[in-house]
Amino acid sequence: MMLARLVISLLILLGLAAMIGVERTGGVTILDNWESLPKRAVTRENNPNYPQRNPFYFEGRIDYELLGIDEPRNAWEFAQRGMHKQDDLEDFEGAKADYRQSIQMNNLENGTCQLVTSVPATGFANLTPPPCMFTVRSRLGYLLLHDHPEEAIQLFREVLEIDPLRLEIHALIGEAYVIEAEEAHSEEEAHEAYLKAIEEFKKELALSPVTPEFTALTGDEANNAHVHFEMAEVYEHLGEYGEAIHSFENYLKATRWHSDVYPWRIPLAEKKIEELREKLE
Amino acid sequence: MGISVRARRWVVLACFLLAAPLQSQTPVGNPQTFTLKSQPYQRPEACLPCHQRQYNELRQSVKSGYRNVSPLFNGLELAGNFLSGGRLRPVYGDSTKLRADGQPFGGNYASATSYVHINQVQAGFCLGCHNTNIVLKGEDPSTREVPEVNALGNAFLPDTIRPLRDYHLVDASGHQILPAEPGGPAPPGARPSLGAAGISCDVCHNVMSPAIDRSFQRDGFANTSLRLFPSISKVGPFLFPVAVKGNFHVSSGDPDRIDYIRSPTLCNGCHDVRVPGGGSLMAFETNINAGGAGVTHYRLENLSTEWALGAYNSTRNPFGRVIRCQDCHMSLYPYAGESTYTVGGLTVKSPTPAVMAENFAAVPGVSTAYNTPLQRRQVSTHYMTGIDVPLMGVDELRARLGPDYPDPLTGGLDEYGHPTALKQRREDLLKAAVRIYLDKSDKSVQMGGTFNVRVTCIALTGHRFPAGFSQERTTYINLTVKDRNGFVLYQSGYLVDKPHPDTGEMEPDGNLDDEDQEHLIAIADPGRRIVPFQAGPVNNGHTNQVFSPGPDNGPEARVYIGRPAGLVLFRNELTRIFLPGAPANSSLGRRDAAGNPILVTRPHFEETFSAGFANGVDNFRSLQPLRPTTFRYEIHLPTEHELEELGVHIEGPLQVHAQVDFEHFPPLFLRFIARTTSQNGPAGRNLHLMDEQLIDTYLKNNRNIASADLTVDLTR
Repeated sequence: MMLARLVISLLILLGLAAMIGVERTGGVTILDNWESLPKRAVTRENNPNYPQRNPFYFEGRIDYELLGIDEPRNAWEFAQRGMHKQDDLEDFEGAKADYRQSIQMNNLENGTCQLVTSVPATGFANLTPPPCMFTVRSRLGYLLLHDHPEEAIQLFREVLEIDPLRLEIHALIGEAYVIEAEEAHSEEEAHEAYLKAIEEFKKELALSPVTPEFTALTGDEANNAHVHFEMAEVYEHLGEYGEAIHSFENYLKATRWHSDVYPWRIPLAEKKIEELREKLE
Repeated sequence: MGISVRARRWVVLACFLLAAPLQSQTPVGNPQTFTLKSQPYQRPEACLPCHQRQYNELRQSVKSGYRNVSPLFNGLELAGNFLSGGRLRPVYGDSTKLRADGQPFGGNYASATSYVHINQVQAGFCLGCHNTNIVLKGEDPSTREVPEVNALGNAFLPDTIRPLRDYHLVDASGHQILPAEPGGPAPPGARPSLGAAGISCDVCHNVMSPAIDRSFQRDGFANTSLRLFPSISKVGPFLFPVAVKGNFHVSSGDPDRIDYIRSPTLCNGCHDVRVPGGGSLMAFETNINAGGAGVTHYRLENLSTEWALGAYNSTRNPFGRVIRCQDCHMSLYPYAGESTYTVGGLTVKSPTPAVMAENFAAVPGVSTAYNTPLQRRQVSTHYMTGIDVPLMGVDELRARLGPDYPDPLTGGLDEYGHPTALKQRREDLLKAAVRIYLDKSDKSVQMGGTFNVRVTCIALTGHRFPAGFSQERTTYINLTVKDRNGFVLYQSGYLVDKPHPDTGEMEPDGNLDDEDQEHLIAIADPGRRIVPFQAGPVNNGHTNQVFSPGPDNGPEARVYIGRPAGLVLFRNELTRIFLPGAPANSSLGRRDAAGNPILVTRPHFEETFSAGFANGVDNFRSLQPLRPTTFRYEIHLPTEHELEELGVHIEGPLQVHAQVDFEHFPPLFLRFIARTTSQNGPAGRNLHLMDEQLIDTYLKNNRNIASADLTVDLTR
């Protein structure tokens, strides 16, 4: 009788535990429905995760839900939502729309942003209109790169107006010209686009030059491996085999101590050099 | 006869009514004095006879001992002094030094009751956190362990500065002894000073309350916002403590103090670090206390805020209750069983927090007055394991911290059957911190085509991961895609053995642990000795001498361009925004191909590896806890033509392997410390802190703290 009562009590307890959705593991109660519990209310105000412009906007990416934004109100908030859509949701069209809205609200043409060329003695923190943002432009440019390279180039050029020393932007413009060349309607058009690409790749290389000090400190005789590889391919298209060999050689120098994310490109570049040398002979 | 009962009732009621407003008053600030019987700060050895277990555990914690003699901590503090002109050393009340505004200091980092000038926060900035009590004791010249520097700003003489650890040595009589030359080895017979113990027993157990007036947001967070009062009244976690034998100390029964030491708010007092100076040019923050508006700052360590805003500081987490700092860092975690729960639809198995040991709080039979019996109860462990491990050998540790200092690399099991050695504990903690998944990846790809690998990561920590000095804690995804025969089609987060001429390693040394990831090729300028000295980066470095994107560029490209390729790095990022104007501010610190300094004409954002030089920070690269975050890699396979040229035939299915690796400091940062404290640095003398050999010997990469595998069909 006692045993039966005990078993029944135990069953009731187990049933109750199952009903309220908990289990015990390692001495601690586990909630299996914790993600459906109400979230902490977060707002823009007094939120350490919501940075106050000073005078620059935070150009990085903040986990969107930490911002406490219901609907974006300004250029920076649209940019943040766009990044969330692009990176977290892979909603590229939604991201583009938010980026466009952001740029519309942070725009040289309509006077809603400015290029900072000097630091005023007072009031720098409250610079009005605010500085133009670069991340939103480079991100939108990247999303448009394949389908609308011309528009992408325009956006990348705006980034360079904001910061002429920003790395990788000239290389992206170069990539955009390569895409234009590949889609060109005539050889002349393609040739012209390839030449422009080369020009941009060279500008990219100039931003992080391989100086004697660079080599003395690193042991590297070249850097920017990917730019050299792309340049080599463009020179190959242009029939400038000597330059192509030179660029492939620089790629090999740049990867000597750094390898490549696509390591098979290294033996491929060596093969290409051999082939191109044969063509030159 | 007296007063009638009725009249007495009226008197009592009147007293209640008069007292009511007092009850409802909100305390403003803290009382300035305490009436407790004072007692000098005690060495931890004084606590050992009655608290052997806690003593042994605490010795394994880097904050109690190692940190104060750490070559990295000491080197970083020196580098900050070179940049600022000695401003990070304490300035005491008897000093004739003045702030930049010409006023007396009015208190330093630890002693100021409230901050009204940046120079106060700077004065003892590093030491004030890691050795608060030593800075406070320094107000009395007779107990001063760390002296002031000779002069500040441009008058600072960098060739005379010693590493802080030089001052943490005493002889057998307890008198300070210094190494023969600055930074030299510990003299024979040297013993550790009180300061060598760092954050020891008395720092926490003498705490009175949060120091609200010193806390920038009046919330008790950051920069040692603790009210410390060295007295015989030690606070522990238990109400109604037993009397102590011999009255060596009394155990506080003050419920407010007990609540405080049991609470994460105690930890919050130190585990946010806000760097005073120009602050962040991307996020304005200042001191809201009266007169403090000019004390601008940026957030370096943001761990406490992350916890406070996170799921563990709520009941909305898998455990349905607040998980305190103590529940992971002062419990049996990660050795007390495992829990299984879901996060974003993914099933997670991880160690269970908040399981405390059952033990005695003091040694029975020797610790209580009248030999009052002690009861076994839930106690805290004092390992306080984190993700750091000494960059020193055990011999040097023992030379500076005493012959009984435990070997951090080897050890046995404690009384609970858990590892005692820091290295093992740290590895186990790291393995509990994160999980990764590849489930959302594309399941097939055509030969020569493009496919997406999606790595989903979940941090299981109470704060973001990594946290603490998160701008250096190098946590990243190491991803490889191979064909069936092992041919590598894509790699990210890989390391390459290479020379390091900047620190004298002229050939690859066969060691991958001293290599940085390949997203960036960077070398920070160590500065150089120039007479007369001038504070700032022109002569003292901290700019990037070398800065060039590497083939695995992911961190910058992912954030600023949105390109789904390259390294996923959870290390937060310090930023220097160079501004157009005077060359001192606008020079990137390196030269163009023609040999001219590169000057900015527009604001230029660039990663920096110096907290002292940063004027911006991105603390959102790290993983938010309990939030699945997916990182996409768009991977291009070689074309048939390319494979033909290579003479390679690839076979499916493709093997995708992803793992999380961790290194507590990036090698390039250690090389900066090595160079800036070498004879070629601003001091013009070797301060014997770090070199390539030390990096090669002690810097270790913790590989594979979490991993996932997937096969992808290859179609033709």
